[in-house]
Parts: sequence; structure tokens; C-alpha cells
Amino acid sequence: MKNNSFFYFLTLNLLKEKRRYAGIVIISSLLIFLLSSVLFISSSIKQTLNYTLKAQPDFIVQNIKGGKVAPINSNMVNKILNIYGVEKVTKRVYGRYFFDDKYSTLIVGVDFLDEQSNKNLETLINSTDLKQFLSKEQMIIGQGVKNYLKTHYYNLEYNFLTPDGQMKNIKIFKTLSSKSAIISNDETIMPLKSAQKVLGLKENKITDIALNVPNDSEWQTVKAKLQSLNFNIRVISKKDMQKAYESLFNYKGGLFLVLFLIVIATFSLLLYLRYTLAASLERKEIAILRAVGWSIKDVLKLKFLENIFLVIFAFILGSSLAYIFVFVLNAPLLKNIFLGGSNLTNFAKFTPVVDYGVLSTIFIIFTVAFLSSVLIPVWKIAVTEPKEAL
Amino acid sequence: MVIIENLNKFYEIDGQKQYILNGINLSVQKGECVILKGVSGSGKTTLLSIIAGLDKPSSGKVIIDGEAVSKLPDMHLSKFRAKKIGIVFQNFNLLEGVNLLDNTMVPLIADKIGLKEAKDKALNALKLANIEHKANKIPSELSGGEKQRGAIARALVANPNLILCDEPTANLDRENSLKFISALKKLHSMGKTLIIATHDPIFEELDFKHKVVEISQGKIGFAVDA
Ligand SMILES: Nc1ncnc2c1ncn2[C@@H]1O[C@H](COP(=O)(O)OP(=O)(O)OP(=O)(O)O)[C@@H](O)[C@H]1O
Ligand SMILES: [Mg+2]
Repeated sequence: MKNNSFFYFLTLNLLKEKRRYAGIVIISSLLIFLLSSVLFISSSIKQTLNYTLKAQPDFIVQNIKGGKVAPINSNMVNKILNIYGVEKVTKRVYGRYFFDDKYSTLIVGVDFLDEQSNKNLETLINSTDLKQFLSKEQMIIGQGVKNYLKTHYYNLEYNFLTPDGQMKNIKIFKTLSSKSAIISNDETIMPLKSAQKVLGLKENKITDIALNVPNDSEWQTVKAKLQSLNFNIRVISKKDMQKAYESLFNYKGGLFLVLFLIVIATFSLLLYLRYTLAASLERKEIAILRAVGWSIKDVLKLKFLENIFLVIFAFILGSSLAYIFVFVLNAPLLKNIFLGGSNLTNFAKFTPVVDYGVLSTIFIIFTVAFLSSVLIPVWKIAVTEPKEAL
Repeated sequence: MVIIENLNKFYEIDGQKQYILNGINLSVQKGECVILKGVSGSGKTTLLSIIAGLDKPSSGKVIIDGEAVSKLPDMHLSKFRAKKIGIVFQNFNLLEGVNLLDNTMVPLIADKIGLKEAKDKALNALKLANIEHKANKIPSELSGGEKQRGAIARALVANPNLILCDEPTANLDRENSLKFISALKKLHSMGKTLIIATHDPIFEELDFKHKVVEISQGKIGFAVDA
């Protein structure tokens, strides 16, 4: 290798300044760590939202009674089926069940006669499991529910107390996958009839009706027709839900935080490096190198390689630590900033999602800022006559 | 070897030209040893820096081996300096935290040389300077005299024909100064051209010098052929 004395000297230089460089690497990787953590959290939430929204129906129809949401008659389904352009009309039964004054679960009843709800279930568990699930009166529970029941020694079943004072025993079939963890963590899925009993609904009453309208251009007319079925009907569209979710997780705020941190990070690094470079140490070193025959290009090359190594090292260190922090340790502290204020207190785990686009943007901004804050002063020192060496 | 023609160097202070070097003419033949004398502030360092191409003259030129040094662009000048000029500084100027062997290699590195070859050459240079037994020591572990002999090794590692020394013995005691001078003598016997700026009287005793040049007030006072 022709140039290996150069790389030897490069490593020599990195090692000899290891204290100072360790400081730079620690500070930079800390900043990268913060930025990537925020990024990982917000993209994980974003993906979970998309995933959940995809599974949502286009419209939900509710009954309003005395200004409050009340159970709706299940025969409303037939009227809705008559509207042109609607599909997949589904009965839904759900409600909160309070185990005690602190912990509750969202009970979701599923109509097994209904093809659509079976399909939705299939996205959560595979089809062979589904057949088994349907064969008995059983429930699928989220991770949070499982954890709660476990601490109360219910490992296989639970006795729900119905509003009319009876016990309803339901076996635990499975715990939900962590894929939709943010939403389904505190959910309990069970047959429609069981859910009606647990929640105290009469047999002909359901919580609401879900339906799809495949053709976007018909949304407005369908919405109007649904509204005219009955004066006390409330129609919620997917778009409304999306807005509600977005404000719930406030991931836009998270992105703002990312930008804010980028600015702070690059700025403080810039200042830090300007400061250390102004120190006579590097100035002297450059003058010596120039005096013994190094060209400006040689000096810049050395400093460039030295610092690009630091940048890449700090970046890999910071972003992998962030990955572990968010997806393995579940982002203690930072989690509250993003999910605080929402009622998802039983939140389990962030789904590992890496947004490479944003990650490489952070890398590029960081690298450019870092390198220019080193190379511009180095270049300035190197081009002035190196007589200071003497 | 070295020809200096009508060399001027001035700084403008409050619009006033302050001459540091004023119309210097000097020529040094190959293999000659020239002593530059002068009181502090007389411009010795400035003259050496201009000869080495580390500083630019205000006017006039320096010609080394037929090349007008002050007119060369950086890339060429740096290469030229690496190959043809070795410099020994008053305060040694070794890179801190780097051992003597690696310090000695530094002038070779920019020349895209292989590591083994560079190490061999550096070790040879250290032998010439009588300091190879300290090759693995970093500057902070060395005495002033050892550092200065290390600096000589670095100055001659690329086998330049011209070696410039700026007050090389200013920080050395008599014993170390004599060791340094014996290393210089070796270089002289190898046919190197030496230009030494100093006001150390020890150089008066030098038995191989050709010329003593005195600078005062930016001019060459008198030249004595030894
Ligand atoms: N950038 C500058 N601006 C103004 N004057 C300068 C500058 N650099 C050097 N000088 C002046 O040039 C003069 C010559 O300096 P030089 O270092 O060449 O002297 P010297 O003969 O090497 O002295 P010494 O024996 O102390 O090393 C000094 O008076 C110094 O103050
Ligand atoms: Mg001087």
C-alpha cells in the first residue's frame, strides 16, 4: 500500500488526542442520541397510528340520546344496508370495564356471524387460531390487560361482574401481538354476546355501527343519508378519527422538537469546536506540519479524515444507543413527553420503526456542521504563512 | 545553491513601512556553512522563514537550485520544501505525544510513502543524529538536547540538500550544544548546505564554517569568509 504511512499517522493522531476526541465523541453522540430518540419515537407512533387507522372503518354511526352517546338498535344495520355505496356494515359493541378504581380495559365485542369483523380479527391473529378462538366463549387481551390480570393471579380466565350483579366467566385465549401495541394494549376482544352481557346491553342493543364507503366521491352523500336516517344519529368519519388521533399523540409536536434539537445540537457543537480549535495546540501542530513540507491539501486531508471518523463513530454510537433506549428500554422519561396527556396509561411498547430518510438528514446536517466548523478554521490557519512554527 | 536578490520585508504600521529586511543580497554555495549573526529582533528568523518559503517577502526573491521559492504555488512549494529543505527550530517543534521515530517520519508522510520505508528512513536519520536509542520516547520524556537532535533527524530524513537552523542551541547547555554541533559537522561532511542563525558564541569556535554574516537593522553588515 502506497499511502499507508498517512493512515498510520492518522490513527496516531486520533490516539494521541484521545482525551479531547473522547469528549467530542461523547458530546456529539449524546446530541445524536437525543435527536434519534425523538425521531424513533415519533416515527414509531406515526406508524402505529397508520396501522390502526387502516384497520378503522370509513364511518361509525352512533345514537345520541339526551345529548349523550347511547346504545343503538341493531336493526339500524338493515336500514344502513339499503343506502347505495355502503359496504361492510358491522355491529360493534364496546365499552370500558373497570377492574378497580385505577385499571380498566376496553371491551370490544365481535360479531362472529359477520364476515368483516372476522377479517379484522385476522389481522391480529392468524386464521387457524381464529377458528379455535371462535369455538368457545373466550377473549383476546392486550399486553397491559394481561399484566394486570397476572398480578391478580388470573392467568387463564377472569370473572367479569355484570351491571345486574352476575358473574360472567370468560377464558383467556391469547395476548395480542405487540404490533399495534399503542392502541390495543388495554383492549379485550370477546364475542359480541359476551360483551353485551359484561357491559349490560340488551340483546338488540349495540354500541355503534361501522361501515365502509369504497368510493371516496360518495362520502359526502352517504354521510348526509346516514344523518337523515334518524334525527338523533351521529356520524363519525375516518378523517375525524385521524385528526383526533393525531392530536392525541401530538407527533407534530415531536417533529418540532426534532428540528429544535437539531439547531441546538449543531450550534453548541459549532461553538465548542471553534473554541477548541482556537487553542494554540492545533495551530502549532498545523504550523509544524506545514514547515516540514505538508501542503495545505495534506493538512486538510488529515483533519478531514480525522473528523469524519469522529462524526461517523459518534453517529453510529448515538443512534444505536437511541435504538436501544427507545425500542428495548421503551424510552423512559421521553415517553411521557409524547404520550403524556393521553389516556394510554397502560401503554406497552414502541414498535421498532426506523425512518432512514430523516435519520440520514440528521446525519448530513450533523456532518456538514461538524466538518465545516473544523475545516474552515483549519483551512484559515493552514493558508496563512506557517512562519509561526519558527 | 541559494541566491537572495534584493530582498525586502516590511510591515505597515500606522501607514508607515517598517523594514525588517532591507535590500538583502546573499549567495550561498552548495556545501557551504553560513552563520547568520545579529542581535535579537534583527530579522534572522524572518530571513530564514523567507528562505524556507514559510513567509513571503515584500519584494525581491530567493532562488534555491534555480527555483524562485517565493513565487511557487503552495502545492509545489510544499513539495519543494519537503524534498529540499530541512529546518531545525529554536524550540524544537516536535509534535507532542508522538514518539521520536514517528516525529521523524512526518516530512515523509505527505509524500505518499509506504510505512516500512518511512520507518527505515526515520531510523537511519535518528542514527545520524546520534539519538536512535530514544526512538520510542515522546518529546515530554526527552531533554532539550535530545529533542534538538531529534529535530535534526527530522530535518534530514527526506535527505534535503539545504538545512536551516534557527538558534538551534539557544535552549541547550554547552555539552548538548557541542553534541549538536558534532551532528552538524556530520551533515557538513555529507555535503549539505547549512544556514545557521544564532548569537551563541559557541559557533565562533566552529572549524568548518565558511561565512559569518551579520544582520543589523535589516541589512547585511559585513560578511566574513572564514
Ligand atoms: N507580524 C509582524 N508585524 C510587525 N512586526 C513584526 C511581525 N513579525 C515580526 N516582526 C518584527 O520583525 C523583527 C524581526 O523579527 P525576527 O523574529 O526575525 O528577529 P530575530 O533576529 O529572529 O530575533 P531573535 O534573535 O530574538 O529570534 C522584530 O522586531 C519583530 O518585532
Ligand atoms: Mg529568531
